Amino acid sequence: MFVAAEFRDREGVIRALRDLNSDGCRSDDIAVFSDEAIEFPRDALHRPSHMSFVVVMGAITLCLVAIGFVYFTQYNYPIITGGMPTFSFWATGVVFYELTMLGAIITTFLWFIWESGLLRRGARKPTPTVEPGLIALRVECESNRSDGVSDLLRSAGAVNIRTLG
Amino acid sequence: MSTLTKPIPYDEVRRDLWRPLSGASPTYLITLLVLSAVVLWGLCAWGYQLYEGIGVAGIRRPVFWGFYLVNFVFWIGISHAGTLISAILRLTDADWRKPVTRAAEAITVFALMIGGLFPIIHLGRAWLFFWLFPYPNSRLLWPNFRSPLLWDVTAISTYLTGSTIYLFLPLIPDVAQLGRHATGWRRRLYRMLSLGWTGSDQQWHALERAMKLMAATILAVAVSVHTVVSWDFSMSIAPMWHSTIFGPYFVVGAIFSGIAALLIVMSILRKTLHLEQYLTPHHFNNLAKLLLLMSLLWFYFTTAEHLTVWYGNEPKEMNVFGARVRGPFAPYFWTMVFCNFVVPFVLLGIKKLRTITTATIASITVLIGMWLERFLIIIPTLSFGRLPAAWGRYSPTWVEVSITCATFAAMGVLYLLFSKLFPIVSVWEFEPHQGPDA
Amino acid sequence: MTDTNQPTHRWGMAIDLDRCTGCQACVAACHAENNLPLSDPESAAKGRAVHWIRVDRYYEGEFPNIRVKHMPVLCQQCDEAPCEAVCPVYATYKNPEGLNVQVYNRCVGTRYCANNCPYSVRFFNWFDPVWPEPLELQHNPDVSIRMGGVMEKCTFCIQRIKRAETEAKGENRAVADGEVQPACVQSCPAEAMVFGDLNDPESKVSRMAASGRSTRLLEELGTEPKVFYLTRAT
Repeated sequence: MFVAAEFRDREGVIRALRDLNSDGCRSDDIAVFSDEAIEFPRDALHRPSHMSFVVVMGAITLCLVAIGFVYFTQYNYPIITGGMPTFSFWATGVVFYELTMLGAIITTFLWFIWESGLLRRGARKPTPTVEPGLIALRVECESNRSDGVSDLLRSAGAVNIRTLG
Repeated sequence: MSTLTKPIPYDEVRRDLWRPLSGASPTYLITLLVLSAVVLWGLCAWGYQLYEGIGVAGIRRPVFWGFYLVNFVFWIGISHAGTLISAILRLTDADWRKPVTRAAEAITVFALMIGGLFPIIHLGRAWLFFWLFPYPNSRLLWPNFRSPLLWDVTAISTYLTGSTIYLFLPLIPDVAQLGRHATGWRRRLYRMLSLGWTGSDQQWHALERAMKLMAATILAVAVSVHTVVSWDFSMSIAPMWHSTIFGPYFVVGAIFSGIAALLIVMSILRKTLHLEQYLTPHHFNNLAKLLLLMSLLWFYFTTAEHLTVWYGNEPKEMNVFGARVRGPFAPYFWTMVFCNFVVPFVLLGIKKLRTITTATIASITVLIGMWLERFLIIIPTLSFGRLPAAWGRYSPTWVEVSITCATFAAMGVLYLLFSKLFPIVSVWEFEPHQGPDA
Repeated sequence: MTDTNQPTHRWGMAIDLDRCTGCQACVAACHAENNLPLSDPESAAKGRAVHWIRVDRYYEGEFPNIRVKHMPVLCQQCDEAPCEAVCPVYATYKNPEGLNVQVYNRCVGTRYCANNCPYSVRFFNWFDPVWPEPLELQHNPDVSIRMGGVMEKCTFCIQRIKRAETEAKGENRAVADGEVQPACVQSCPAEAMVFGDLNDPESKVSRMAASGRSTRLLEELGTEPKVFYLTRAT
């Protein structure tokens, strides 16, 4: 059961989120929909992210792959060129740097797709249509609690409270 | 700091920024037609060159690199526009960049696409360009990673991938909104590109985090890309090429020409799309001050480079120096100094003279000056090598000039098409924010 | 890659500038031997002439006391060649006999090597070469014809080196000093050019290279060229 409501401003949403938290709703059951990025304080909405760590790991991985690959190819068919050893870390250091950055870039993009939940197959939770300029809130809860949640949202200043799918 | 004199209502913002996406004025169509014709002519010239042989270009011994390499460095330099505006200003939380970011990022991607073509165009056997990529083959050979040209391939591939993603990510919320209001094939296109974006806070948080990481990464990549391009020259032992200043010199020059290109594009957009309320004199003032700063930095680097060569008085380098400053290349050299330093200093340094029009004029002269700078880095050194018996003068042919013009036209065509499909000012980033820094 | 009873060679050349008259027989011989593309005044004016060996003229002094120095300049086959490390596809490298080898069918035509060569001894095929009849009948069958878009340069007549080495191996002997003569060396009427094995201290080229008059071109760049110029004694 989903309860949806709309708010005019950010403060109202934060009030509602805090009330929902103290009422026992988890952040995973709540979603806030808007036309622009809105910052919420940690105690209102908790969205942990591993993106920084994953990106650094991705960058390091591709760096090591690059070093290994260049080392392998330079020795696989060693060709002598004037004044340069067969494998030179400094001469090929730029390639390692660029591929490290490429690892960071690709990991960022892929992890973004994953963390944002875009392109996910399977049943999706219903999205409330939101009036432009307003902020929509959607709470997932059991049917017997939906009235309590609706009252809570109304007292926080929500308009257009309804249930979805 | 608010960049608007008064806040604009939400609906009006969307209406203004979405208006260019529908319909096409006669001016637009004629411009698109003319530019496409120039691009087609350039493609024919390239086809002719592929068929007859690269000898139809003016390059010769000892000037083995000519217009194509000049254009290559020039366009990769222009691509630093987006990086500076988007990445640095995003990282420093400068709000005035918001209406400008997508235009800048689009310049970056298109300039990279165009610039990245030139390493293929200038090859003697261009159909074998893929030999520079590492793949298992029957000859058991791998490319030479110790060559600066391979560093180029890696750097530009990375930068192109990064810039495309960096352009695409903040486009997602906008195309999602557009998809709700569009019809027909556009609706299908926007729906597909929006990847199912619903605007939930989870998605916004992920997007913001990704943008912050991308900004830092793309900045690191951009600095390295033009450094690597400069190392094509400075790793060589040719006189006046083998200089340690090339890395920072080229990066500064790239940011310089990138801001100039962005200013010109913004000027055109402001006029043609009636975006006077969104691209305000405040934005142009800030960009003009940045352009002036880069002009001073460019002048500093140029002085440092030439002073050390002149003072060192090494004979082989003095040949090239004399050719640049007093000899056959002197007209180009002093035009370059005039365009890159004198004009921006006067028009942008004097507050009374700093208007949108003069900033645009200064930017145009800067682009001319920076193209000449690339020319003057490559051609004089090759013309006056270490053995005087092998000196020679270069003059371009119609093939090279056609392809050069075609790249400018291609930039225009790509931009015209882009601004018809996507809002050139990022709607969601521009809307007055209800956050703590409103 | 050498046989156990064949010594490793290190090919080098010595040119006595005191003997060189600037007659350019070496240039003509090289053209004939190596199937060089046609170079006429038109292509020379456009900077497209190909001369794997050329004779540079330097004038010293004022009229009427002018002295002319003739200097045949060919690929110096550098030990530390600046052209080799910059080729992205390994079209040029140093082979075990110390020669700077150009692999025509690997070259994609970036021309970086030519820009990096301080001696300007590399030449590019701007078009597919065309020889008007009957000149194409004069081609040397031992030397490949290069197509347009490919770099080329002096090879120390590697085809002659290979032929001598094959013959010597077949006869189970070492290559004798003076047995291998590139076209330019063979055709010099003043016998100013000497070619041989620098690994053999008794060979004529080694003795000339060790002479007091011996110098190398642009030595300060550290390219370690293997062409030794003996300065004029007069």
